[in-house]
Amino acid sequence: MTAAGVIAAFIRRDFLAERSYRLSFALGALATLANLAVFYFIGELFGGAMAPGLEPYKAAYFPYVFTALAFFGYIGTGAGSYAGRLRQEQTQGTLEAVLSTPLGVPRLLAAMSAWNFLFATFELSVYALAGAFIFKLRLPAANWPAAALVFVLSAACFAALGILSSCFVMLFKRGNPLAWVLNNFEGLLGGVYFPVAVLPAWLLGVSKLLPVTYAVRAFQLAVHGGAGPAKIKGDLLALAAFDLVLIPAAVWLFGLAVNRARRTGTLGEY
Amino acid sequence: MRLEVKGLIKIFPAPPLSGGAPLHALDGADLDADTGVTGIGGANGSGKTTLFRTLAGILEADSGMILAGGEAAGPERLRELAAYCPSNPRSFYFRLTAAENLRFFGALAGLSAAEAAERAGKLAPRLGLAPADLGRRFDRLSEGNMQKVSLIRAFSRRTPLLLLDEPFRGLDGVACRGLLELIEEAARGATVLLTSHSRELLNAAAERQLRIDQGRMPPGGPQ
Repeated sequence: MTAAGVIAAFIRRDFLAERSYRLSFALGALATLANLAVFYFIGELFGGAMAPGLEPYKAAYFPYVFTALAFFGYIGTGAGSYAGRLRQEQTQGTLEAVLSTPLGVPRLLAAMSAWNFLFATFELSVYALAGAFIFKLRLPAANWPAAALVFVLSAACFAALGILSSCFVMLFKRGNPLAWVLNNFEGLLGGVYFPVAVLPAWLLGVSKLLPVTYAVRAFQLAVHGGAGPAKIKGDLLALAAFDLVLIPAAVWLFGLAVNRARRTGTLGEY
Repeated sequence: MRLEVKGLIKIFPAPPLSGGAPLHALDGADLDADTGVTGIGGANGSGKTTLFRTLAGILEADSGMILAGGEAAGPERLRELAAYCPSNPRSFYFRLTAAENLRFFGALAGLSAAEAAERAGKLAPRLGLAPADLGRRFDRLSEGNMQKVSLIRAFSRRTPLLLLDEPFRGLDGVACRGLLELIEEAARGATVLLTSHSRELLNAAAERQLRIDQGRMPPGGPQ
């Protein structure tokens, strides 16, 4: 079976499972719209005036937070879905069965979160349609090729973080410090809800350690400010450096975690 | 395919800070089996399941050697060579139908959707599983029918090594007879190892039988 065949099998499996929970499916889409509405009315409350922190992006608050949420919603899929999927396999007792087949670690990693990325793409299109038709958002200055480059580098980086996070799930089942950091601090310190420029100096230093800071800033500058690759070169290089280190490290460590679980006999535990 | 196991040791470490002692699940197991059926008997906790999970490549042995067809076989190679039917049939996706589960696990083992469906279609009636049950969601199957789906998953792979851990568990008389026939047919081209706590069924399935006791299997022939 080719890698594409394995990915297709996982997507089909997850689609069928998700479809069997119809209400959850519908409520998920509604929650996305409700979330956007909150930020829309916050933006209305403060008017279209540009806050000083938003000047580099040439955007008012709502357009800023809208594109940041859409972007972070997608790339965050990589960060959260691997650990989530793995945990689900553990608790439903299927992980050992999946790993008793000839499926290797690279193909497992390629396939495990494929459905989540597909669904995130659907959510992204919901964001785009809602932005265009409900919130009348326009992005006339956007540099889409530069935004796409940021998107690819960021998605790969967050997938690597997600794989690293799933190593904790493989080894400790519950108690995942990396997921805790990703869930609680990426949004706060990464510039998703507001530009990091408003943070105090000591927190600004912490935010510089997080890939999300570079990802969100570069994406926002490309989408709102029309920045090309030359203008966001620093952020692109930072993301590329994160990718170069994190991707091979994550795949290697995940393989080690699986092997350790095979040695200690904890593959089927939850 | 000739399967040789020499001095297999598998120790499960105690959970960190638990104060417990490590569990010596396999303590120097030896096994020699060729094409055909070999039954493995033993009390609860004697190491049968650990032996099978190690031979299936799910677990990695701490020491010892496994030779398949005369060549050393590590976990990765064993996962290619062996199909394993666990004693607990609940290792499936409950929200998917039995057929969809078989299609998914078939894909992971390299079977196309058509092959998986064809093999399931042929094996199901042999075990007394109705076509309607193949189309039923897995969590709505009876325990016995779950076991049949688990057996179909293992037999579908047509591997040279077939590991059946308590395969008769939960099966009715018709299904047991069907399974005995399937085992006999598979054993013409594969090395089949099976366990059962039923002396009668073990005798019916396997002329050659070995016994495991406290993780040890004495080398040599029938016990």
